[in-house]
Order: sequence, then structure tokens, then C-alpha cells
Amino acid sequence: MKSSLRFEISLARRFLEENKIQTIVIILGISIGVAVMVFLTALIDGLQADLITKTVGNSPHIVISNADSASAKASKSLGENEILLIDTTENNQRPIAEWRSITEALSADSGIKTVLPLVEGSGLITRGQVSRSILLRGFDLEQADLIYDISNSIIAGNQNVSDGAVLLGKELASDLGVTAGDPLQLELSGREPLTVMVDGIFDLGVSAINQRWMVMDQRKASALLGIGDRITSIEIQITNVFEAEQIAREWAVRLPSYNIQSWQESNASLLSALNSQSSSSYTIQFFVLLAVTLGVASVLAISAVQKSKQIGILKAMGIRSSSVARTFMFQGLFLGISGTLFGFVWGLIMSQAFIILAKQGYALLLKPITSTIIALSTILAATLSAYLPARQVSQIDPIEVIRNG
Amino acid sequence: MAEVLIKTSNIIKDFGQKVKTRVLFGIDLEIQSGEFTSLIGSSGSGKSTLLNIIGALDRPTEGHVVVGGTDLDDLDDDGLAYFRNKTIGFIFQSHFLLPQFTVLENVLIPYLIYAGRTTKDVEKRALELLDMVGLSHRRDNRGNAISGGEQQRVAIARALINNPRAILADEPTGNLDSSNTEKVFSILRDINREYATTFIMVTHDRNLADRTDRILELSDGIIIKDTGTSDCVKSPFHASQLYSFLVK
Ligand SMILES: Nc1ncnc2c1ncn2[C@@H]1O[C@H](COP(=O)(O)OP(=O)(O)O)[C@@H](O)[C@H]1O
Ligand SMILES: [Mg+2]
Repeated sequence: MKSSLRFEISLARRFLEENKIQTIVIILGISIGVAVMVFLTALIDGLQADLITKTVGNSPHIVISNADSASAKASKSLGENEILLIDTTENNQRPIAEWRSITEALSADSGIKTVLPLVEGSGLITRGQVSRSILLRGFDLEQADLIYDISNSIIAGNQNVSDGAVLLGKELASDLGVTAGDPLQLELSGREPLTVMVDGIFDLGVSAINQRWMVMDQRKASALLGIGDRITSIEIQITNVFEAEQIAREWAVRLPSYNIQSWQESNASLLSALNSQSSSSYTIQFFVLLAVTLGVASVLAISAVQKSKQIGILKAMGIRSSSVARTFMFQGLFLGISGTLFGFVWGLIMSQAFIILAKQGYALLLKPITSTIIALSTILAATLSAYLPARQVSQIDPIEVIRNG
Repeated sequence: MAEVLIKTSNIIKDFGQKVKTRVLFGIDLEIQSGEFTSLIGSSGSGKSTLLNIIGALDRPTEGHVVVGGTDLDDLDDDGLAYFRNKTIGFIFQSHFLLPQFTVLENVLIPYLIYAGRTTKDVEKRALELLDMVGLSHRRDNRGNAISGGEQQRVAIARALINNPRAILADEPTGNLDSSNTEKVFSILRDINREYATTFIMVTHDRNLADRTDRILELSDGIIIKDTGTSDCVKSPFHASQLYSFLVK
């Protein structure tokens, strides 16, 4: 270390020690600001992580279907001033014939965790006077468990679909008043109505699924839908959910004729809500940092006035102006570091208290990257805010000090 | 025979931006190494201004100061700061100790400014200097916890820590009573003897001035009297003083 730096650092420490009260108050102030940032970001990040887990945990991250879907068709033909009307319950997916090779290629991608080829079609089930529209989903249950964990979600009846059993969502079943062992009338679009037996009822914890899904083996579903040895879509889970868009883009290049959608695209409104939440947290951070900056600047500006006599005599004894300036920058740095350290302590205590007191269903999440950003930006703000006082104090004229005794 | 340590040529100093007031009117001066000069003159005659220019605290409007072969005009502000630290020791009317530092730390500060940390040698030297000014028992007291006379003696020890070529003292006894004045002056005189340190001392005290090697008198920015450089064989008066210091 440059030897004069050593003196500047020890002088900075001494100056802060001399103004004990000011120093303690400003460190307290910075630490409260940091604690607020730590707590709020931990809260928001925890909430968001929880929402994302809920969103993508038991659902596909990427869905591959045939490009010629209803919405694709509609958006292509949509002229100006036309209203886009799509019946999303209508399933216009065209079957995929070469699904085996695609599935194999997908499975070879190291970023991809689970590949689930499936058959999907919409229809209507009826029991007595009650009818409900359904989504018929056929897939290999063992493979599907990796995404949906259906086997562990059966609340009534048989859970083995391989022998042609039919599983029904919980709310669908209660709407129709059926339970395991009951017969149903099933009418698939463009097919003759037929009777099927309900073998089991599942509860996947998501009402959109519980209200619409009828699950069976892939072969049986393709037979009912009359599409032969073909499937309608491939669902994918990947290792890192945030790479979904990237991986989807890569596969869009390799499978240009298919429609490949990541969970981010299908949950755009959720993500934009999360984004605006994040930006409100950045706004808070910005104003906290502004307060830190002003606080440190004013404390050091006062200190600069209080210390002008000492600075004057040090300059007469040969300290360089730049050394004086650095002495004040170091004071800002020390205040920033101490405030940050205490702030993290308070912030973690606040977070812990929140977890204990508020009993929320989600954990707080303090990411290393956000912690680093909070710490560095606070320390940087405190140091930079010392700049003006440092400049002011470095320009003290020793002669003035000496003349005025 | 003695070398010239400080040479000023035609120093002019003006103060003020719009209305310029000339304070020094072309000062030419040579100070011998080891000489103890006193600078007298009425208040406002420009003594402090001249001393500050010689000590590189201020720059002259015109003219040159050469100290130990270095023309101060050739130095930038950092160069002047370094020069003040290494070559000059200042003693002011007010002692200006750093209040929160101990007496020993105060003595060490001019050394610490550039060295960053002390060595055994420099600490030993600081203690010797404190001993010389009779304050080694105060080494661990705060700078603001000792009397005014004591503080001024600490300031003397501080001025000496870097072995400066010259000590510039601006009314060092101005705030002291007669017994403290005597103490401080005799210390300065002894240092001058012992280390051959060059002194320029501004004083209002005629008696003190008479006990120095050379008296310069300023009036309205002009040197009106100079008793001249006596040869460095000192008068018996000085020798007896040194003797009295040694037997103390
Ligand atoms: N920074 C300054 N600005 C304006 N005038 C000054 C300044 N410093 C000194 N002076 C003036 O210069 C003259 C000489 O001052 P000074 O050298 O302090 O005198 P002395 O030390 O002999 O009492 C005085 O009239 C004083 O008012
Ligand atoms: Mg004066």
C-alpha cells in the first residue's frame, strides 16, 4: 500500500471517531436504508420465486405443437381494424407424425429434463342433464408424472391408466356428480358419442386443470380421436426454467414448421406484473440510495467545516490536497461499509421476524446477486457523496487558518 | 564561509483581486545556513506574509525564493507540500495541535504524512525531542489536555521531527507569559546550536530579537534595517546560554 494512503486511512478513522455522535447517527441512517432494501427485495424476490415455482413447477416450460394452430392462422389473416376472435377451447392442432424422432432429439438436449409427447383433443362429457367441455389428454403416465405427478394426486379410484383407464379432474367430477366406477357420455368433436367409465379422480391443485382435464393412456386417446399413431403436442420441462425462452428459440430453428412456446410467452401478463413489481422495488432502492447520498454528504460537509483548522495545519505541515480529499472519501467509504454491514444485520433480523410473525406461505429470498448490488451501490453512493465535501476541504488555504488563529 | 540556505530576490506580494494592495515591495534577502534571524516590525508590515512565502505556504506575486538550491517557483502545489514537509518546520503563534491525537502522535504527524507508519527510530527521535522540550512525561496526554505553554513546546518538537533545514516561527511566544516565553526561546536557541537548524523568528519582543544572530526589520513591506550576517562564531553570551542548558 502506498504509505501516504495509510495515513489518510488512519486520519479518516480518527476524524470519524472524533465526531462520535454524527458518525453513529449517519451509520444508523444508512443501515436503516440498507435494511429496508434488503427486507423489501427479499420479500419481493421470495414472492416472485414462489409465484414462478407455482407457475412452472407442475407445468410444461416449453410446448411444441403444430404451427398451423387456430391462433397462428387467425393472426396471419388478421387485417387492420379487424377483431381477433379465437375460440381457445377449440383445438385445431394438427397431429405430428414424426414425433418419435423429435422426442428422441429433444431428450438428447442436456438442458431438457423431461419430454412428454401427448395427444390432446377437446370434447364434451355428459351425465344426466349436466354437460361439461373437457380437454382430453393422453400420455404415458409414468413420463407425465415427472411433470404433473398425477400418480400421487389420485383422490379416488384407480391410478393406473395403461390398461385403458380414464381419470377425471376433481372439480369436473364433482360438477357432474360422478365418482370412480361411474359411466359417462363422451363426445369428441367430429366423432360418434360413446360411453366411458371413470376409473379414478385426481386433484392437481390447479382448478383450471381440475375443471377441464380428462386423462388417459396415449394409445387410447389417439384411438378415440382417430389420429392413428400420431400425437398433437410435446411438453417439455427444462433444468433451468429461466432458460426456457432461449431453448425454445434454439429449437424453433431446428423445427421451423412447429409452433414452440415457452412458459414466459404463455405467462406474459404474470411476468409483466412481476417486472413492474421489480421496478417499483428499484424505485425504492433509488430513493434510499439518494437519502444515503444526501445524508453522508451533509454529515461530511459539516465535518469539513469542523475540521478546517486541523486540515489547515496538516497542510502547513505538508499534506497534499489530494491526500486531504482522499481522507474524506475514505470517511464516506467507512460510513458506507459500516452502514451496509449493520443494514444487512437489521435487514436479516426484519426478514426473520416477518417469517415468524406474518406466517406467509412463501419464504423470503435474499439472492447473492441482489445482496451484492445493494452492498456495492450503498458503499459506492456513500463514497461518491463524500466527493463534494472532499473537494471543498482539500481547497482549504492553510494561511487563512493560521491568520485566524 | 557558511552557505546561503535561503535566497529571495525581488519578492513582491499583492493581495486582492480588483483592488490590489501591495504588501511586500521587492524583498532581497540571503539567509545563511545555521543562522538565527529575528524578523521584527510593526503589525501589518508584512512579516507573516514574507515568512509564509519563504516557507512555501504562499507564492509571491513576483520574484523568486530559492531554498537549498531549489527555486520554489519550479514546484507545483504537491511539490510545495512535499517541500514544506521535508525542508521546513513551522511554529505558529497558536500551537495548532490536533486535539484528539496524543502528544507523541502530534509530534509524529509530519513524519506520518508521507511515511504512513512509524519506525522504532523515529519514535525514539520523537521521544528525544519531547525530552528536549521537557514533556516526555506528557507523551500519552491528548493534545488538548495540556497547558498552552506545553502545547507550544510540543509544536516545537513536531516542527523538528523531519529534521528540517529551516524553522520558521511566527511569533512563537506571542501567546505566552514571560516564563514560558523564556523557556520556549531558549529551547529554540539550543536547537539552533545543537542541530545547526536555520531559524527565522518573527517577534514583537525586542529583548528576544537582541538575543538572535541577526535582526531584520520590516516596515510597510520594505526591509529598513538589517544587522547583517554575523560570522557564525557566536558571542560569549550565546555560549553561556548553551552552557546553562547543558547543566540544567
Ligand atoms: N490574504 C490576505 N488578503 C488581503 N490582505 C492581506 C492578506 N494577508 C495579509 N494581508 C494584509 O497584508 C498586510 C501584511 O500582513 P501580515 O504579513 O500579516 O503583517 P504582519 O505579520 O507583519 O503583522 C496587512 O495589511 C494585512 O492586512
Ligand atoms: Mg503576522
